[in-house]
Amino acid sequence: MDYDLNEQQAEVLNGLEQLIQSITIEPPHEGVFVAWGADLDAKVAEAGYYDIVAAGLDLIDGALVVERLSQLPLSVEAAISVLIAPVTGLELPRPFAIASGSALAPARFLPVAKTLLVDQDNQLFAIEVDQANVETIDTLFAYPYGKLKSLDGVKMTPMNVPVADFHRRWRISMAAEAGGLMKSALDLVIQHVTDRRAFGRPIGSFQAVQHRLVMAAEVTEGVRWLGMRAAWSDDDADAALAATYVQDSIPKFCTDLHQFCGAMGLTLEFPLHYYTYRLRALLGELGGGSGQARATTALNWGAAA
Amino acid sequence: MEFGWTEQQQAYRQRIRDFLDKTLPDDWDNIALHGPGSPQQTAYSKEFCPKLHAEGLFVPHWPEKFGGRGGDSWDHFILGEELWQVGEPRGAQYMSVNWIGPVLMRYGSPEQQAKFLPEILGGKVTWCQGFSEPSAGSDLAALRTHAEPVEGGYSVTGAKVWTSYAGLGDYCFLLARTSSDRKGGIVILLVDMDSPGIQVKDIPSVIGRGDIHEVFFDEVFVPADRLLGEIGQAWEIINFGLANERIGIPRYAFSEKMLHRAVERLKKDGRYNDPVIQDRLGRVLALCQAARLLVYKVIDERSKAKEPNAYGNLARWSVVRADQAVNDFMTEFMPDGLLGADPLQTAHHQRAIAAGIASGAAEIQLNLAARRHLNLPGDR
Repeated sequence: MDYDLNEQQAEVLNGLEQLIQSITIEPPHEGVFVAWGADLDAKVAEAGYYDIVAAGLDLIDGALVVERLSQLPLSVEAAISVLIAPVTGLELPRPFAIASGSALAPARFLPVAKTLLVDQDNQLFAIEVDQANVETIDTLFAYPYGKLKSLDGVKMTPMNVPVADFHRRWRISMAAEAGGLMKSALDLVIQHVTDRRAFGRPIGSFQAVQHRLVMAAEVTEGVRWLGMRAAWSDDDADAALAATYVQDSIPKFCTDLHQFCGAMGLTLEFPLHYYTYRLRALLGELGGGSGQARATTALNWGAAA
Repeated sequence: MEFGWTEQQQAYRQRIRDFLDKTLPDDWDNIALHGPGSPQQTAYSKEFCPKLHAEGLFVPHWPEKFGGRGGDSWDHFILGEELWQVGEPRGAQYMSVNWIGPVLMRYGSPEQQAKFLPEILGGKVTWCQGFSEPSAGSDLAALRTHAEPVEGGYSVTGAKVWTSYAGLGDYCFLLARTSSDRKGGIVILLVDMDSPGIQVKDIPSVIGRGDIHEVFFDEVFVPADRLLGEIGQAWEIINFGLANERIGIPRYAFSEKMLHRAVERLKKDGRYNDPVIQDRLGRVLALCQAARLLVYKVIDERSKAKEPNAYGNLARWSVVRADQAVNDFMTEFMPDGLLGADPLQTAHHQRAIAAGIASGAAEIQLNLAARRHLNLPGDR
């Protein structure tokens, strides 16, 4: 048990940090719901960070990369490339989109994706994405979302990998991504309540605010460590447990953080929604909190008869 | 960053489990249900702790010069998890092992160490914690019990309340004040509980017998050599002791064990397939595991000799939340456990309902974490 980064992990993160610092990350423009960081995504890809797990580094190294990139206000397609796609054992073109249940379901990143990974009828498929067949979805969620217009002429290539593996990595990626999003959202709100004054004092000095922010900090830490442990073990039960905690925590976390920013936090000029509306998007994935919780129970104590 | 146990740690945990299997009596669950401070559990602890010590498992983390094995913080915590999750057969003596002993090692005089530490090792003495008062609970520095300097020592007059383990206590780790200086005026006295002028009154409670008392001090003479540390040092000592105590009890381990027992009963009763129960089970298990990992971070820091910090307050909050969630689940879905179907469920319930109150109210943990972990502003 060691909570400090080992040499390899520190090296990966230091390199990534240097790359991030060398890039001008423009804050999202006012009035934009989706902050897709196309340039950032391309530069991270060019530097090879999306391939580190496929190239043989540990899954937890990949989770640390995903977590760090998720802390940025721009979204990039990191989690699927780094943590999920390697289960296929194939070198498929990225960016990826993912969906569960139906190839026609709304899928995260589909409007920018080259490959869609989808489980349908207990089989994982890879679909080469033709953007002419993608309908972009206008959404509050701060990821690019889209859905295929039709499956006519679409080749669905079955992957030789159990759907359970796909779901395990999806859950791990959910936790790694949520950990980064929560940290940035919390930092942003702590700064806001420290600067913003009401009744002659910073609003962050009121106990009613402080206690709930500590609760938000507690779940941020829980998400981080459960997610990292799942990435370390790459175990089905650990992954389901981490995703359960993530989805169980998101509603109160997001509600409280917006609450402390008042009406300011509801405006698009205040960047909180770039984090909370990625979190809220994660909330409903793979059956939502109840789906993860029941999976956790089944994986720990046996499936319901 | 990695989350595995070493082979040595796994063997150590197994050794504790084997010892418990061999040592705990068949009717242990019926003893444990009375609580750590109960006459039943206190009596059993005095039989159990010497056996545990003979096995080298009572204070494995203490330095060798004080009778331990020089183990690390993980040895201490693995032991705590295994014992707490079976209902704490050390009774109230877990407190001596967790923080009274370490405080004496750091701040006690050689004479105090020579007297008290071997007695703790013998496993036959019980300490109580004379902190809270009728008008000083969470606001501990408001305590009023007075220690008047007299020839050869102090004369103590005042009242303590909610005092755990006082009824069968041999010694009291007593906070009193010699001046009105809020924190600087406090002293710590190591008091014999059979001293003339001490009166202990048991307060019946829903958390079991032996856990809550009033203790009255009426001109109790305490010799000068029972002053712990120096005048003005008490607050530092208290903080050191409480840093060990905040996460001293691995409550999540007992809670997880109760979930395992719950599943056995649910399967037997044919209710395990209920999707609502499946949903709730997964969620509360996740809370327990999150609490476990937050606590492990503190232990990891402790094992690397890092200074205690406010992460312990955050971890404590997480533990309280998990304990209460498991208790709520059990009470809602398995009320028969509180009606005799599982004696340990009553024991767990009684510990869980006190989790956010004992050893410092949860709100105090939140206050400290807000200021010291999140660096949130004060009220000016």
